[in-house]
Amino acid sequence: MSGEARGEDMEPTGRTDPTAPLSAPSVRQIVSAAIVVAVAYFAGANLGALLRFPPATPSVLWPPNSILTATLLLAPTRRWWVYLLAALPAHLAMPAPPDWRESLILVLYLTNCSEALIAAGSVRAFAGEPTRFDTLRRMGVFLVGAGLFAPFASCFFDAAAVSLLHGDAYWEVWRTRFFSNVLTEMTLVPAVVLVIANAREWITGAGVRAKIEAALLALSLVVVGGLYAFGPRAIPGAPVSSVALFLPVLLWAAVRFGPAGASLSLLATALIAICGGMHARGLIGKMPPADGVLAVQISLSLCAVPLLGLASLIEERRRDQQDLTRRLTFEKWLSELSGAFVHLASDQMDEAFETWLGRLGQLLALDRAALLRSCQSGGPFIVAYTWAAPGIGPIPRASVSADYPWTVERLRREEPSIVSEAVDAPVEAGADAASLRRLGARSMLALPLVAGGRVLGALALVTVRTHLVWTAERVGRLQLVAEVFANALARKESEDALRAGEAMKSAILSSLHSSVGVLDRDGLVIATNPDWCQFPPHHAVPEGLGANYLDACRQMAREGIPLVAQAVPGIASVLDGSRVTYSLEYSCGTPAGERWYVMTVVPLHRPEGGAVVSHADVTERRRAELEAQRSRQELAHVTRVSAMGELTASLAHELNQPLAGILTNAQAARRFLEMTPPDVRELRSILVDIVEDDKRAADVIQRLRDLLRKGEFQMRRVDLNGLIRDVVKLLGSDTVIRNVLVALDLEERRPTIVSGDRVQLQQVVLNLVLNAMDAMADSPVADRNLLVRTEHSDPESVEVLVEDTGPGLDKDAEALVFEPFYTTKSTGMGMGLAIARSIIEAHDGAIWVEGKRSRGAAFRFRLPLAEEPVE
Amino acid sequence: MMERPGTVFVVDDDLSVRRGLERLLRAVGHRVESFGSAREFLEQRSDQRPACLVLDVRMPGQTGLDLRDDLQAAGCRIPVIFITGHGDIPMAVQAMKAGAVDFLTKPFDEDVLLHAVDQALARDHPGDAGRPPPE
Repeated sequence: MSGEARGEDMEPTGRTDPTAPLSAPSVRQIVSAAIVVAVAYFAGANLGALLRFPPATPSVLWPPNSILTATLLLAPTRRWWVYLLAALPAHLAMPAPPDWRESLILVLYLTNCSEALIAAGSVRAFAGEPTRFDTLRRMGVFLVGAGLFAPFASCFFDAAAVSLLHGDAYWEVWRTRFFSNVLTEMTLVPAVVLVIANAREWITGAGVRAKIEAALLALSLVVVGGLYAFGPRAIPGAPVSSVALFLPVLLWAAVRFGPAGASLSLLATALIAICGGMHARGLIGKMPPADGVLAVQISLSLCAVPLLGLASLIEERRRDQQDLTRRLTFEKWLSELSGAFVHLASDQMDEAFETWLGRLGQLLALDRAALLRSCQSGGPFIVAYTWAAPGIGPIPRASVSADYPWTVERLRREEPSIVSEAVDAPVEAGADAASLRRLGARSMLALPLVAGGRVLGALALVTVRTHLVWTAERVGRLQLVAEVFANALARKESEDALRAGEAMKSAILSSLHSSVGVLDRDGLVIATNPDWCQFPPHHAVPEGLGANYLDACRQMAREGIPLVAQAVPGIASVLDGSRVTYSLEYSCGTPAGERWYVMTVVPLHRPEGGAVVSHADVTERRRAELEAQRSRQELAHVTRVSAMGELTASLAHELNQPLAGILTNAQAARRFLEMTPPDVRELRSILVDIVEDDKRAADVIQRLRDLLRKGEFQMRRVDLNGLIRDVVKLLGSDTVIRNVLVALDLEERRPTIVSGDRVQLQQVVLNLVLNAMDAMADSPVADRNLLVRTEHSDPESVEVLVEDTGPGLDKDAEALVFEPFYTTKSTGMGMGLAIARSIIEAHDGAIWVEGKRSRGAAFRFRLPLAEEPVE
Repeated sequence: MMERPGTVFVVDDDLSVRRGLERLLRAVGHRVESFGSAREFLEQRSDQRPACLVLDVRMPGQTGLDLRDDLQAAGCRIPVIFITGHGDIPMAVQAMKAGAVDFLTKPFDEDVLLHAVDQALARDHPGDAGRPPPE
């Protein structure tokens, strides 16, 4: 009848709101609804005209008023005038007795409208939900407002009009109309409203058994009606008892089919009873028809009140029961949901999220459900898991932030968001509603998934076929679901992160060429890479996961393996934190020959301590190093020999001096011996001098031999100060010959002991000093000053400065002096400084030339101080 | 060997060489005065005649050649025998041109030295000072 009446109650947790317009109805829809109302009004008026006892004006049963009432209950108030106007032509067109004046017909239209307005107005005012009769309170409001008060009030106008314009007795009219309209309102209005509101759902949704029972009920009504019309006439107490005949069937309808069943059955009963009375049939046949009809009206009306009340009460109980069951079902469902996610590994969660979204969608009779994730705070929401009801397209997996700005804004504030087509939707949600419409959806609830103070994502629930009202209660329950999803998502995120970390760690470990093992504080192996177990030196002891590496090493140390005995305190010292790192280079016989390894122990920086032990195969590096060292030594030797060539004059002088002393003294001694008596005192003193000179010569030769020795690289503790003094002594004559004034400024307060090869370091100093002297070859004799200084630049190293007063170096030369074969001398090889650099770097030191000097050149090198010898 | 005792001044920075020379020259009857440097010689030498100077070429500070030049510049014509721990030909030529009696390379034989000293003393005549040496 009304095109706007929709009331699909398809979902079990609540009802949709039939008054909320899904969309504004079109003019066409309103017009067709108005035509339906007019037709119904016309049909009802015809029926009412048939059920009349002429010459009385009021009918026994007058449906038009009730049809109007039902229409007004179903339609929004702002369109009441449309339907009231639509009824006017139907009212004018209805078959009226020939003696009725047009003014009377018009006034009757007004009184009919007034009754409908009073009835619908009072129900809307006091019952709230005008189309529902499912609680005792709503039914009570209806019975009092629409059933009794509306006919009561409107009958005064009606009776006055009829008596004035038609000449009927006032109270006669009032009485007839009142009882007639009370019965019609009470039976027809709920029947029409409930049928329109619920018929489609009942037909599609009710079970077969319910339908069979309804059919049986209808059959029973027919049987009882037949009994009433054609049965024996001698039942005492008729016509009241005649209604009693219908009572079992009416009770059955009220108890089993609620207000709709009760009102439909009452309507049928009223029609049967009144028809029977009018045709003087049935149990009231013996009475005058008017009295009989009145008796039927009164008894049926009286009967309707408790029956409808009972029906609504039962309906109310049933609904409460349903609500309770639903809540219990939901709680059970919720606990299943929580249980499902508690023990789930994160890699199984993807499937579980989709499964449970589907179950949630089915439980709530939704069309779409989706879980969105927001990976970083303030980041976009991206559809991660979706479900769609069969026949409904899924939500596309994409970012939705741009399409739903208002929703996203609310989610970020950890508030739920409801978007629907309802007219009361917030204006700011306009863009969201438009996006929803594009998806063909009608309503959406989005709940933030919050865990650990962060919005991890959102749960979005969408309806397409129905318009779901997201009541506060429902949203509250769904927030519990969201909480479970949020916790699961948070756990998944952290487990995924942990697993990613584990995977990365394992990948890094596996990619290492070294054998790497991670020890805990006590030395237990807690992680290894694959090479660890294949590592040749590990074949002797079990060092797999769970073994105690430190204990295994201690055991080997006790068995007398000196290398391990050396390593144990090192590993232990890193584990107990007394040492920052420990490393040990060692060689080890393997089936493939001797190989070299470096063991490095570094601490694990975490509260529970531990260390990472790695053994790296450095054989190739070591071979290359040895090769380089050998080349360097050979080259160094060559340059030393060539340097000696340059020094020949000086060395000759250095040796000739003591030789001259010895020869002269010896010849003098011979003369003293020839004297009589020989001068023994003088002889003794001569011998002392000869011995001194001999030693002096031997020293020179020793130093030369040292310098020219083609020695192996030997790491020793070397005192740089002493070394510098030796070199300067060796060059002493040369400095004299070249007129160079050598000044030494050596650090004496603190030791200048480094760890290195004495010959090689000597060569560095020699090269630098020779270089400086060469640089001053063309300087004025008075301006040839050479300074060699040692100093501590920092607590861990010592620096040596060799400074001259020559012409200095230009910018280009500064960059190139250490390059091999770079020379400015016609006779030089250009290797001296290159060799110096390679030696210093082999000693973990650095050598450089100081720039930006007004005159002369200054070379510096720095070497790490030797550690104090461990006792 | 003819011995003509005179005074021999020895200037050498090397103590051992200096003492050896001193002993050897004394043993053959010369009077010897030795000095560790040119400066010592200039400040402390006596005025004995005849005399000669045994002078080391390479010394820290003023070298032997410098000293000889200074002496010549001051008009002192004392005969000089140069000795050196290493000698090269240019240096020897320069020394001889400048009027040295001899140029000896260490270590040298006593005969060579004593012969040179004798020659030098023979050249030194009292009253010669200020006169150019005989050609």
